[in-house]
Amino acid sequence: MDVLLNVAQGFGVALQPVNLLYCFIGVFIGTLVGVLPGIGPISAMSLLLPITLSGTPESGIIMMAGIYYGSMYGGSTTSILVNIPGEAASVVTCIDGHQMAKQGRAGPALGISALGSFIAGTFSLVALMLIAPSLASVAIAFGPAEYFSLMVLGLVVLTFLTQGSMAKALLMACIGIVLGLIGLDSITAQPRLTFGRLELIDGIGLVPVVMGLFGIAEVLINTEQVIKRDIINARITQLLPNKTDWKASAGPVARGTILGFFLGILPGGGAVVASFASYALEKRLSRTPERFGNGAIEGVAGPESANNAAAGGAFIPLMTLGIPPNVVMALLLGAFVIHGLQPGPLLITQNPGLFWGIVASMYIGNVMLLVLNLPLIGMWVQLLKLPYNILFPLIILFTIIGVYCSSNNVFDVYIMIAFGVIGYFMRKLGYEPAPLVLAFVLGPMLENNLRKSLILSQGDLLTFVQRPISAACLALAVVLLVGPLLPSLRRKRELVALDEGA
Amino acid sequence: MNGQTKAPSRLNNSELWGGLIGFGLGVFVIWSGLKLKLGSINDPGSGYVLFYTGVLMCVFAVTIIVAAITEGGPTFGSRWEGTRWTKPLLVIGCLTAFAVALDPLGFLLSSIPLLLLLLRVIDPVRWTLAIPIAVFAPLGVWWVLKRMLLIQLPSGIFEIG
Repeated sequence: MDVLLNVAQGFGVALQPVNLLYCFIGVFIGTLVGVLPGIGPISAMSLLLPITLSGTPESGIIMMAGIYYGSMYGGSTTSILVNIPGEAASVVTCIDGHQMAKQGRAGPALGISALGSFIAGTFSLVALMLIAPSLASVAIAFGPAEYFSLMVLGLVVLTFLTQGSMAKALLMACIGIVLGLIGLDSITAQPRLTFGRLELIDGIGLVPVVMGLFGIAEVLINTEQVIKRDIINARITQLLPNKTDWKASAGPVARGTILGFFLGILPGGGAVVASFASYALEKRLSRTPERFGNGAIEGVAGPESANNAAAGGAFIPLMTLGIPPNVVMALLLGAFVIHGLQPGPLLITQNPGLFWGIVASMYIGNVMLLVLNLPLIGMWVQLLKLPYNILFPLIILFTIIGVYCSSNNVFDVYIMIAFGVIGYFMRKLGYEPAPLVLAFVLGPMLENNLRKSLILSQGDLLTFVQRPISAACLALAVVLLVGPLLPSLRRKRELVALDEGA
Repeated sequence: MNGQTKAPSRLNNSELWGGLIGFGLGVFVIWSGLKLKLGSINDPGSGYVLFYTGVLMCVFAVTIIVAAITEGGPTFGSRWEGTRWTKPLLVIGCLTAFAVALDPLGFLLSSIPLLLLLLRVIDPVRWTLAIPIAVFAPLGVWWVLKRMLLIQLPSGIFEIG
């Protein structure tokens, strides 16, 4: 009964005209950046982070959340029609989605992708409503040791899931922690690594770092080669899947939804790993696995449902524990902090309107996305024809403006360019930026909780293993760190390794 | 790794240099941590976490270096083989010039040439399209930010914008 009252309160907030407008802007921009290759939700969210300042916290966060789950919808359009993933979570959709389009079945591929996403999005929201409040009441008992261990686990899971060498990913996570510690020490107020620059006293901003590593670096990589697009030019008809398509897709949608939701909750996981895991699962369960890669609708339905369910699940650790499980949620945490709010166990009780308003807006946003992605598909197809040589200067312009507006400081533009160059070389040398960014956000929290735990326990390191939740997190982190030394686990890691770069 | 295509002990590989840079950074972080004072385990100081993070960085960097020496790796040159490597350099050059010009010239006078350069230099867009985009995109953005969102952009010494 309480849940129903809360949901009603949430809809009261979400249905306010201004929040509806922000929700629409969010899902529209989300679909747009999902459709456009070369700019992903991370870049778009950091670009719009300063704009959230102009409205209420509800409006700003509703818009930011809309960009995230909206991009999950939009990404599939580019994957299916152009064979280029609009964002990282749609990489796997290219495999069968584009083959379906080549066989003249772009309509059902786009249709099942949007409908599967809607079903998964709806399920994950209902689960979020039911799980988050109970988890939040448990999380109140968490102390600094638990928070520290959870953050360590989150970082280790992300490095485990990152493509390529784990040592490189761990090195990146360490560099992220160091970058996050630049500025005044939160306990002693001593300046650290500021090199006498006043601009660094408050630390490096999240926006220039993310825009550099993801936005500018992506542009630099893309300008290296001539981007060829294999756009399906045929008119898209019959978007609704037929009976046979539904029969084949029902199982993958259901499995993808549940799998995606739970993978989304895990720290370090998220939409990308969920889509890959769902594809692998469907291929394994299929009686005709040879159809996968040749236009099997299950290969579109499962991953697309999984990435949307994961997008919903990822809100749970952020809203209940205050710990962002991935880079996108780290940016959302930034939006909360900008408005003076601290997501965590007390958010739901102290700010019920905000929490339930965001959840309700996500449901409304899912309905908006269904309309945007089915009847209006033609509009997005036209947009896909925009050449990259016109698109990238505009991406750079918006990136610069986003960074400048976040601080009104030219120094941040320099920081962004520097991180753009660093990010470019990192990608060329096989170093993933995602662990660096997540560690950059978690670094100060991690340090704070470590130092608090040590002070409270009077220097007793056993405090981390004597508390069951902390011990379990650390044990899992150790398994994941040591695991890649075992050949069987290394092979599994290579199978699920992901690229968070979009 | 294919032993036939890669010499196992080749030292001039990018993996090795990546590891060495990481190691150098790790040493710097350790030194910074020590300089800031470690404190004690009962009361960790400002440099405590930095110091141990630096130690971990050195450990991971050494792992990368050892793997690079024992398994070999691609050379720097091969990472850019078959790519238009001058294009990213041009973009970086344009961006740096823009950043330098932003404060003295202001947003409009610096962003219009930046856009024109990017549109013409990388994969040239025809002049009839490049000029309107380069002029109207910054103008439009400037108008929205300044007039609608009341966000101040640099106007430079000429006070344009």
